[in-house]
Amino acid sequence: MNDDRPEQHSRNWLSLVLHDVHFWVPVVVLVGGLLVLRWIH
Amino acid sequence: MGIFCGLTAGAWLGAAEAPTKLVTLGLSPVVVSLAMVVGVFLARWSLPALIHGTSYIRADLRQAPHLIVWAVLAGCLWAVANTLTIFAIRDVGLSIAFPLWNSNSLLGILWGIVLFNELRGADWRRWFGVLGGALLMFAGATALALAASAQAPARDVLKGVIAALSAGVLWGTMYIPYRKAYLTGMSPLSFITFFTVAELGMMTALAVGFSGGVTPLWRELIGAREVLFWLLLGGFVWVVGDLFQQYAVKYGGITRGIPLSNTNQLWGLLWGILVFGELRGATHGLFAQVIGGSLVMALGAGVIALSSVTRSEHLRWQETASAEGERYGVDPAYTRARIAGREVSATKNGRTWVDWLLVSGATATLMGFAAMAQTPQISVRWGWVAGLALLMLGALAGCGVALWRTTRFA
Repeated sequence: MNDDRPEQHSRNWLSLVLHDVHFWVPVVVLVGGLLVLRWIH
Repeated sequence: MGIFCGLTAGAWLGAAEAPTKLVTLGLSPVVVSLAMVVGVFLARWSLPALIHGTSYIRADLRQAPHLIVWAVLAGCLWAVANTLTIFAIRDVGLSIAFPLWNSNSLLGILWGIVLFNELRGADWRRWFGVLGGALLMFAGATALALAASAQAPARDVLKGVIAALSAGVLWGTMYIPYRKAYLTGMSPLSFITFFTVAELGMMTALAVGFSGGVTPLWRELIGAREVLFWLLLGGFVWVVGDLFQQYAVKYGGITRGIPLSNTNQLWGLLWGILVFGELRGATHGLFAQVIGGSLVMALGAGVIALSSVTRSEHLRWQETASAEGERYGVDPAYTRARIAGREVSATKNGRTWVDWLLVSGATATLMGFAAMAQTPQISVRWGWVAGLALLMLGALAGCGVALWRTTRFA
């Protein structure tokens, strides 16, 4: 059980990030920016 | 303190864009952006090493390691936005592009309100001040966009305007990671170290992709070696301004810190008109539109600056900060201390040989490029460069001393 803890902590941490709107808003904008850059170039 | 930092940031961020005028020599915009990002990278590791030492940064990151994700995101956003601004400067000029991408403050204010509870608990005067100021800035930016459509010659006005506005959206959204990190208590000096790794990585990927491969990119860099120093210097200047902007966001919030640092557009106007002679030969009407639009934007920034943060707003910030800390398991004592500009413990992290190696390496790299540098073949009025530089140094000294005395750069 102790061996699972660090792994579980990592999964929880990752899950927290992926469920955070503060993560997804910048990601969506970044992708949009790359598309605009491609169009302009 | 946040307001003072925001205004100082404006002076340095405005000057940092000046070397990007080299794009008018026919340099590839991605090469210009990459060279600037290399300068940014050198500064973002050497300045923190000099001020606090990398051991301080390590200790800070251990308190909230999840923020590395947001530092990386912020770096990627910055790199893409910066590249877009180079296209904008090429297509519509510095004095027009600058105010357009400064619309980032409007979006930053929106994110601050929606995602971080800024302005919650503020009275109607502060809501009026911030939103009214933001609308003034939007009006000024619109006047400048109309001026861009009338300016000749322009390579591609539509693409230039879209590039500048898109950069504004990217930079406006970049403030989300900033605010998230600083509410948690992280020092800006720590945040920017991972930020800049992502900046350099993303910028290198863009440069290789748009240049058609590593070899063509290398050839372009070799061909531009005589002017690379100026671009690296621009990156260094940017970092100084950006650091003050980070502190402005930390101690003044997005809603005050960002609009005030966006007074960089006034400095950009000064550099464009006084140093590079932009708008020379333009009609009085066009001049009036550009200067009028910029002054309206500056007025908007001034109105926002007068809307100081109230105690009840601070309490809301503390609640938001506590929620963030609880979500990610950050020590509440760390968060509380850092928001107030204090350290958690009295332990001092000294500088080690790694820090001096970073500082010497950055210095040697800059000196190496300086040795190869030649005066750019564009029209530059050096007298005005000296005058503006003196003003910038004065702001740096004043604000730097005040920031050190108040926060010890926490």
